[in-house]
Amino acid sequence: MADAAHLGVKGVSKRYGAATVLESIDLDMARGELVTLLGPSGCGKTTLLRVIAGLVRADTGTLSLAGRDVTRMPPYRRNVGVVFQSYALFPHLDVAGNVAFGLNLKRLPKAEIEAKVRRVLALVHLEALAERPIRALSGGQQQRVALARALAVEPSVVLFDEALSALDRKLREAMQVELRQLLTSIGATAVFVTHDQEEALTMSDRIAVMHRGRIDQLADPRTLYDRPATSFALSFVGQSFRLSGRVVASEPGLSVIDTAAGQLRAPKQFLTGSDVIVATRPEHAHLGHATLGPGDNSLAGTVSNVTFQGPRSLVEVRIGDAFLTVQMPGRSAAPPIGSEVTVGWPIAETLIFPAEGEP
Amino acid sequence: MAGLTRERRTAYLLGLPAALITAALFLVPLALLFAVSFTGADGFSLSAYARLFGSEHYLWVIGNSLQLALITTLVTLVIAYPASFAIARAKGVWRSLLLGSLLLPLAASVIVKAFAWTILLRSTGIVNNTLIALGLIHEPIRMIFTETALVIGAVNVFLPFMILPIFAVVAQMDERLTEAAATLGAGPVAAFWRVTVPVTLPGVIAGIALVFSLTVSAYVVPTLLIGERYPTLPSTIAKAYLLTNEGSFGAAAGVVLLTIALAVVIVSSRLGKAPGAAR
Ligand SMILES: Nc1ncnc2c1ncn2[C@@H]1O[C@H](COP(=O)(O)OP(=O)(O)OP(=O)(O)O)[C@@H](O)[C@H]1O
Ligand SMILES: [Mg+2]
Repeated sequence: MADAAHLGVKGVSKRYGAATVLESIDLDMARGELVTLLGPSGCGKTTLLRVIAGLVRADTGTLSLAGRDVTRMPPYRRNVGVVFQSYALFPHLDVAGNVAFGLNLKRLPKAEIEAKVRRVLALVHLEALAERPIRALSGGQQQRVALARALAVEPSVVLFDEALSALDRKLREAMQVELRQLLTSIGATAVFVTHDQEEALTMSDRIAVMHRGRIDQLADPRTLYDRPATSFALSFVGQSFRLSGRVVASEPGLSVIDTAAGQLRAPKQFLTGSDVIVATRPEHAHLGHATLGPGDNSLAGTVSNVTFQGPRSLVEVRIGDAFLTVQMPGRSAAPPIGSEVTVGWPIAETLIFPAEGEP
Repeated sequence: MAGLTRERRTAYLLGLPAALITAALFLVPLALLFAVSFTGADGFSLSAYARLFGSEHYLWVIGNSLQLALITTLVTLVIAYPASFAIARAKGVWRSLLLGSLLLPLAASVIVKAFAWTILLRSTGIVNNTLIALGLIHEPIRMIFTETALVIGAVNVFLPFMILPIFAVVAQMDERLTEAAATLGAGPVAAFWRVTVPVTLPGVIAGIALVFSLTVSAYVVPTLLIGERYPTLPSTIAKAYLLTNEGSFGAAAGVVLLTIALAVVIVSSRLGKAPGAAR
């Protein structure tokens, strides 16, 4: 399996002085796969990308790419494309010159280079700007040139370090969809770095949630959202409602947890006495006694805010010192602010994590 | 397009006062210099130029000036280019120290520096004494009043004018550019010639223009460090005005000097703007 991986990262660690920036990272990617490294600032995303590109040498671990061991290979032999956050376009060359840079180094025949440049520029819709100097381009156009320049040499893998973050929101969202379609259509293997979870969900086949130099979870977006492996992955992707508590009873496939707000059940066995985090996604929650079934958790709370949004109302309920926002269809009457309510959600949709290693 | 011309007009108007001052302080004296250089005993004459270009001696003098400027420019460039990278890559205190050691000597007069070199390089100077003490030589070697002393002094005096413009460009250069080149398949040598050099070229050109025009018109350094053995255009001008009282001849030499310096500046600014040059 690992031998078949197109990009194989195995046991990669990197320290700067006393700080461990990457800690035994494993990441296998199939050919044509789009993977996002998602995590907060300083968790090591850029460093991992630079290790893959060969711009930083890892302390331990091995790297393989397209069937070659590239652990000790310098960046200029790896055939890895990088789209930098700052784009790093060559200011002394025009658009076509930038795109042709890597092809010129391969000493291909001139006509072939020209044809390739034209083809790649067409791919990113920049045919008309081939002769423009770089300084006369908008941010979005520069981004496309950077992409075209990286793709022109047909790299084994393309790496994007927050490549879209310099664009304004609308353009960024359009580019996310377009970029994904483009990369899929040419069958590129790509690694994106971002700390924008929506970008990660839009762009990727799989997401690697990084936390303090480790990959907490590597999964497809659906699994990551529904079954986060750690409480960090839970809090970093999507909204969640979380309470801390202690397991007071357990049996195979079930734990009973005492929290400050009341007793809850979770569908996973934890040792009695262990400190845990219990959580659920807000969309699983519903209001009122009448809706409760035998397979539900329930807690009492106070309505602290109601927001009417047309098709729905958002009811914010305070439970202990945590807040849970419950969606109600627009037509049903929302309870008044300050009223006591009961919130319920299925035990099956209850997540439980050990409390240790909380951020 | 119409908006552009209006912007242009405003810019010209705003520049007018400065232009007037420049005209009064520079153009009028220059015009006088020109006029005098074309004046002989009885009115208009090319005799000063004929003398300058007609004699082997003065062609040799012009050659000396060009040679000194060329060598000094080359030597400062070779030192300044890597030095600029060293300063730009240096961190914190080191960077301040390096920049300070570059800027501080600018505060000292060129006369002081030239005299300092005469003291260091004379037969009983510290350089000779050290070499003798180390047993590398047995008797003092002649260093002062040699071409070597001249180039050492000129390089010392003009080096900052090469480093500063190059450093300014290097410090601004995005380090990611060479990394980008590497990921596109450029080894260190290719990345240097295809990215680093062209991107820093404007600084190099500015430095060359500055050092060449400063050296070609340098008076103090050649006079103190080599003297009569190596006459240059500036020393010829000084002699014409101060010793032999040949104003017209001095003016003609001045015009030639000015033309050389101007040509270098114009050519280099053209090169700096050429398509393909970074900005
Ligand atoms: N060259 C270096 N020397 C010392 N420390 C470094 C170096 N490069 C990175 N680090 C440290 O390594 C850690 C991870 O850095 P990295 O740039 O990989 O984070 P990141 O996940 O990309 O963060 P961001 O989202 O802010 O870009 C940071 O704490 C950073 O300070
Ligand atoms: Mg980063």
